[in-house]
Amino acid sequence: MATTACFVIVSRNDIPIYEAEVGSAAKREDAAQLHQFILHAALDIVQDLAWTTSAMYLKAIDRFNDLVVSVYVTADIHTRLMLLHDSRNDDGIKSFFQEVHELYIKTLLNPLYLPGSRITSSHFDTKVRALARKYL
Amino acid sequence: MEPDVSIETSSMIRVAVLPIGHVPPVLLRDYHSMLLRHQTIPLSAISSFYTEHQKSPFSNQPWDSGSLRFKFILGGAPPSPWEDFQSNRKTLAVIGICHCPSSPDLDSVIDQFDSARRAYASALVDRCFAFCPGDSQLEDGSKKGGNLMLFPPADRATQEFHLQTMMQDIAASLLMEFEKWVLKAEPAGTIVKTPLDSQATLNSEEVIKAKKRRLGRAQKTMGDYCLLAGSPVDANAHYTTALELARLTGDFFWYAGALEGNVCALLIDRMGEKDSAVEDEVRFRYNSVISHYRKSFIQEHAQRVSPLTFELEATLKMARFLCRRELAKEVVGYLTSAADGAKSLIDASDRLVLYVEIARLYGTLGYQRKAAFFSRAVAQLYLQQDNRLAAISAMQVLAMTTRAYRVQSRASITEDSPSKKEIGSSLAEGGKMLHQSVVSLFESQWSTLQMVVLREILLSAVRAGDPLAAWGAAARLLRSYYPLITPAGQNGLASALSNSADRLPSGTRCADPALPFISAIQQEKTGGAGAANTGPFIYTPFSKGDANTNTKQELIWIVGEPVQILVELANPCGFDLRVDSIYLSVPSGNFDAFPVTVNLPPNSSKVVTLSGIPTSVGTVTIPGCTVHCFGVITEHVFKDVDNLLLGATQGLVLSDPFRCCGSARLKNISVPNISVVPPLPLLVSRVVGGDGAIILHEGEIHDLWISLANAGTVPVEQAHVSLSGKNQDSVISIASEILNSALPLRPGAEVTLPVTLRAWRHVLADADTAGRSGSGSTVRHSKDGSNPTLLIHYAGPLTNIGDPATNKSDVPPGRRLVVPLQICVLPGLSFVKARLLSMEIPAQVGGNLPKPVHIEDSPTEALSSPTKMDRLVKIDPFRGSWGLRFLELELSNPTDVVFEITVSVQLENSSHDHRLSGDRDAAEYGYPKTRIDRDCSARVLIPLEHFKLPVLDDSFFVKDNQADGANSGRNSSFSERNTKAELNASIKNLISKIKVRWQSGRNSSGELNIKDAIQAALQTSVMDVLLPDPLTFCFRLSRYALEEPENSSSHNSPNVQVHSDAAKGSVLAHEMTPMEVVVRNNTKEKIKMSLSITCRDVAGENCVEGTKATVLCSGVLSGITVEVPSLQEIKHSFSLYFLVPGEYTLVAASVIDDANDILRARARTKSSDEPIFCRGPPYHVRVVGTA
Repeated sequence: MATTACFVIVSRNDIPIYEAEVGSAAKREDAAQLHQFILHAALDIVQDLAWTTSAMYLKAIDRFNDLVVSVYVTADIHTRLMLLHDSRNDDGIKSFFQEVHELYIKTLLNPLYLPGSRITSSHFDTKVRALARKYL
Repeated sequence: MEPDVSIETSSMIRVAVLPIGHVPPVLLRDYHSMLLRHQTIPLSAISSFYTEHQKSPFSNQPWDSGSLRFKFILGGAPPSPWEDFQSNRKTLAVIGICHCPSSPDLDSVIDQFDSARRAYASALVDRCFAFCPGDSQLEDGSKKGGNLMLFPPADRATQEFHLQTMMQDIAASLLMEFEKWVLKAEPAGTIVKTPLDSQATLNSEEVIKAKKRRLGRAQKTMGDYCLLAGSPVDANAHYTTALELARLTGDFFWYAGALEGNVCALLIDRMGEKDSAVEDEVRFRYNSVISHYRKSFIQEHAQRVSPLTFELEATLKMARFLCRRELAKEVVGYLTSAADGAKSLIDASDRLVLYVEIARLYGTLGYQRKAAFFSRAVAQLYLQQDNRLAAISAMQVLAMTTRAYRVQSRASITEDSPSKKEIGSSLAEGGKMLHQSVVSLFESQWSTLQMVVLREILLSAVRAGDPLAAWGAAARLLRSYYPLITPAGQNGLASALSNSADRLPSGTRCADPALPFISAIQQEKTGGAGAANTGPFIYTPFSKGDANTNTKQELIWIVGEPVQILVELANPCGFDLRVDSIYLSVPSGNFDAFPVTVNLPPNSSKVVTLSGIPTSVGTVTIPGCTVHCFGVITEHVFKDVDNLLLGATQGLVLSDPFRCCGSARLKNISVPNISVVPPLPLLVSRVVGGDGAIILHEGEIHDLWISLANAGTVPVEQAHVSLSGKNQDSVISIASEILNSALPLRPGAEVTLPVTLRAWRHVLADADTAGRSGSGSTVRHSKDGSNPTLLIHYAGPLTNIGDPATNKSDVPPGRRLVVPLQICVLPGLSFVKARLLSMEIPAQVGGNLPKPVHIEDSPTEALSSPTKMDRLVKIDPFRGSWGLRFLELELSNPTDVVFEITVSVQLENSSHDHRLSGDRDAAEYGYPKTRIDRDCSARVLIPLEHFKLPVLDDSFFVKDNQADGANSGRNSSFSERNTKAELNASIKNLISKIKVRWQSGRNSSGELNIKDAIQAALQTSVMDVLLPDPLTFCFRLSRYALEEPENSSSHNSPNVQVHSDAAKGSVLAHEMTPMEVVVRNNTKEKIKMSLSITCRDVAGENCVEGTKATVLCSGVLSGITVEVPSLQEIKHSFSLYFLVPGEYTLVAASVIDDANDILRARARTKSSDEPIFCRGPPYHVRVVGTA
């Protein structure tokens, strides 16, 4: 499992609708903030890159120091699954993204979930963390 | 590292610009900006200043197209250790700037400049520009000569021209200096060193190596000067040589430097035109530059000095060169690797410069978030330096990031993002909007980042000593992120706000509102919609339409009259919030708002009424409130809160501030468009005698005086009174003419309007409760809903009469005054039942026909008659008998007061001449009062008279006849129905004349509403009451008839007491008594009939016929066939001989032949075959004996 990993789902309109620190490293507030800053900045690169490829998994698209940002873009380009990590387990990250994407689609199918609003489901959270343990 | 580097930097001559003496900062900036216009001086322009002293080393100088470039450094820069390596790092010229008025002594200026330029050893040219010299200074300065250049005061254009000349002079001097330097350097081979070269003792091998390298380095330096002199071809030649030599000697650092110069020369030569071939060439060579700088890294020097900065600079130069949207990916690659280098940089200021440059390049690329990220890194570096200037820089840099992080101060938002404004306005109008557009209001809300950035802004602002910025940041932090901040943190922010405010002058305004949250809420009067929403159903079909209509509503305010708006304030934080003052903010300025002070406990909300007075005609827009809280004045816009609440419903915002305060969900509204109209009159109503509810008994008639006073400043010119609400018919009269006659009602004037009321029927439910409570004394207020209201619409004078163009046809606004008539109805007399009593008293057969008593008898005469009751016994003129008919009403009095009942029959002046009372004026007949004590019942008799129609004709059965005329006898049910309708109309007419008035005490009187009861009582026998019989039979003694001919038909004869007449008509026994029967036809048709007369004795035996007949007769008594013409009478004479004295009764009867429909209807026959039998009333004959 990666020591540092921060996972964020960004909706269209660039609102983070789900945030989770899934690394095994001890949680530090300023580190978590830095992670979010890096992910936020990486959105600029994603927005250009997403249109250049048909692949949903964009691999590592940005980095700051040792931290790498990998992104998975859903088919409608609007929702971006972003992972900040320090390991180079490409396959694991890809599987992680794919499974989380499935989870996200299930959330979308919930008629009580308003697309674009925050995902507050604890079930979703638990599943994502389990996936992170499994793949990262 | 140096800021703002690019590939072309190598060709720029560095000039230090130094203020000499005191120069006001504004002027210094102004002079500097004048200098900046001359960053590029074309070679062609300086040829006049240039003198070729010796053969120029710049053989290929492009005099027609080339130019010299300057880089002005305000305040100068300390000498760089690397200036030998890159000559453009040397400060080659010094320009002093002096503002003469503030430094009068030119000598001291010269001294100061001398000492200042001494710090720049490498400077080849120095000048001191003195601006705005006085006359004496001009004189003085012209003598001084030397480096001091005086700029005589002149207009800007002249000064600029002057400056241009000076700069061209400087450029020429520099060019000549460069030539000298290159010529000197070529043969000598100047020793050039960099910090990279070891200063330690060189061993012999290294000395030899250094000598070899020296040639290459000299060539590179000469190339630099060529470049500075604007001769790229010469530079290129030198660089090429230098590259060769450096490669041979393995001098990678200088190789890279020469290559950089080479690329710069290439670009200068191409005059900035960039084709893809050049771009590829530049890219290729610069990658080589970067790799050679990397190669030159020497491990042993790593602690002291490193070529890393040059590598990073080269990377940044490359990135800047390529910085275009199409090449974003490549640029990002360079910038990412540059950012990686930051870790290895030793000097913090180098890192600062690096981050600044990266941020700028990302910004140029359009990557705002990346730029913000590195800007924030810059700010953090600034914050690590613990001084105020760094903090100010940090604050300014952070302020630039706020846009990317969406935490802008409102002050900076105002111009940009018009789209957001549009959304906001459409939101206010539409009421409902698409989810997408709601979302767009909250675009890019990374709350964690936003909080961090705001906190850093707060920190830097506090350190920088900028209380206003600190206040704004703390306010934004508190307002937007209170749910994420612990109560302790909230308290900290609150104290930060107050601390900042302490350092601000009072009355400071800040663009960013803090707490509380303010939302305009609905006035409670339109609670209907709200009530619908609070129902048990999730969806109500009514709520949507209501929401639309509510938002569309427009308000009209009146100049000079106070108005109120309800707002709800919420403090969702954990500290006591004191709002020093809050008032409506009206940018249009025609409104005086009254401030209010509010205290909000932690986690609470409050509804506050904000009021004010419109001051002038026009429109008023109320976007929000002005709040003075935490020592600063802020604007709170309602729309923001509306958006916030919308976001909360969509799950986009952390929390709804109002709901988390536990406030009931009040319907928030957007303040509608408000227009202010000129002053209007204002009527104030007051019920004379107290505003409390008037307690009235059922049917009581009461006069009410409503006093109307004009409390406005304008007279009332028009007024109209109307009624609304329930029980409108209980208002009998409103003397609106009094109001109209009082117009125009001046300000302060008062008018009293009498209103007559009649209390309506007591509601059954009320009666029940009253009954249950045991006694009728329970004062139970009837529900307010049943009260009628008086509406008075009124208006002031027409405005703008002098300006007909503007007020074409617009009606001036008026107002409505609603005066509820508060009436409480108590149960009064209650009606038990009504019935019709009738009796017939047989008439005496006398000489005369019984005379009908006519209503023309004057009341006075009637009153004067000794026995009033006698008047009630009247001869039925059509029937010929004494008839007495009463309507008996049984009334009970459940109340605790005494009632007196007066019955009156009102006879109106009718134009129908067939009415008996046709020629009479309206008159009332009073009867004795009946008194009903409390808890008693009484019967009231209403005599029914004067109601007979004179003729039985088809007017009564008009519909009936028509139907029969069409096809006779077709359907009787139809005619029956018509008959009924006609009957009902007649009954109503009859009933409306009967008034039962009551009086209780001195001033309480009213009328019983018993129409229904009377109608029910009369329904069955109305025909008898109303209609005359078709035939009237009368008996009389013939001898009297002869004596008084024509008298019977005279209606004008004075009233004669009936019984006196009857007394005369006594009959003697044993005497032939001639008599006659008079049959009158009351219809308009001729009637054919067979008449028969019977005489009965006291026992009721027929005494004319039979074996024991006691009466002998002569003449025909039975089966007399007669024909009576319409409205005529016939006489039939006969004689009777009474054998025995006593009482006899004469009865005439007839069977009508060929009866028409009217007669049938009157006789209520079922079938047409049935004979119509008419019977007259019995007549008494008293036979007295002869003895």
